[in-house]
Amino acid sequence: MNTSCTECGATLAVPNDAIVGELVSCKDCSQEYEVAEISNGSVLLKPAEQVGEDWGE
Amino acid sequence: MKVSITFDRLRWEEKALSEAAEAAGVEATLVDSKGLIFEVPKKHPDLGDVVLQRCISHYRSSILTLMLEGAGLKVINSHDVAETCSNKLATTIALANAKVPTPRTFLALTSEAVEEAADRLGYPFVLKPFTGSWGRMVTVVRDRSTLQSLIEYKEELANPQEQHMYYLQEFVRRPPRDIRAIVAGDSIIACVHRIAPPGEWRTNVARGAVSKAFKPDAELKEIILKAAEAVGGGILGVDAMEPESGYLVHEVNNTVEFKGAQSAVDTDIPAQLIKYVSQVARR
Repeated sequence: MNTSCTECGATLAVPNDAIVGELVSCKDCSQEYEVAEISNGSVLLKPAEQVGEDWGE
Repeated sequence: MKVSITFDRLRWEEKALSEAAEAAGVEATLVDSKGLIFEVPKKHPDLGDVVLQRCISHYRSSILTLMLEGAGLKVINSHDVAETCSNKLATTIALANAKVPTPRTFLALTSEAVEEAADRLGYPFVLKPFTGSWGRMVTVVRDRSTLQSLIEYKEELANPQEQHMYYLQEFVRRPPRDIRAIVAGDSIIACVHRIAPPGEWRTNVARGAVSKAFKPDAELKEIILKAAEAVGGGILGVDAMEPESGYLVHEVNNTVEFKGAQSAVDTDIPAQLIKYVSQVARR
């Protein structure tokens, strides 16, 4: 499933077995996205949350 | 039995847990916590009876667990355990009170008091944030002038807990590695050394440390399980050090990451964790 990076416009390839919630990164600019929706072979991405001060184990 | 695995960032661990549940015939659903809405204190229709809490954000995890327990669900780990593990002071208190060997630790409640605390503990020491992970903002303080500079930096932080209060811990002379044990209930699922990369003293996998399997001796096993019990038990990552004077437990992690450990051991960690979740669900 291909889509475009909203940051730099590069083609973003999302694996066909990706699931909602999974993270993908743009190979060109490293912008990180989260898979928001998959329907009829097309994928909708949203920017992933940024690392927070309270993130961790 | 229906299990929900709640997350806010779908990492390798959460996917592996979901796959392990499917392989074991356990009905488990990955649930993105970011979209959940509750009418307090009712149960959420999309969640089962048991929740494996895997949120990466401590505050989101804590609030969600509070809500889930309030609605009568069983959560692994419980809110009490999460709160004890997410605050280094609470962890140290729990370990010390349970007679688990842990590094000498001081607390100072103001920027004025921290210099005296440092003098009493002795340099070098390690300054740690109360909340945080992956070795972030953990600093070796080697002298008073460095401490004074750090105080100025800390006073600029927005978080009141970290701005004026100080958690100081002895700098333990150890090999360039520590121990990570993954515990579920009263079993040690896996045990690895985390070896710091060149030029780095911290041993967090997030900082490039490499995991290597090893067999804990009887004394270490006992200390690891005692540490897990001291914070309330569940699925935990117990971190220990091995100075010449004997083992010391310095941290217990509530939402343990195990990708690094899995790369070093044959044991199927997610399968063992799901086995524990099933056992808890049947209780």
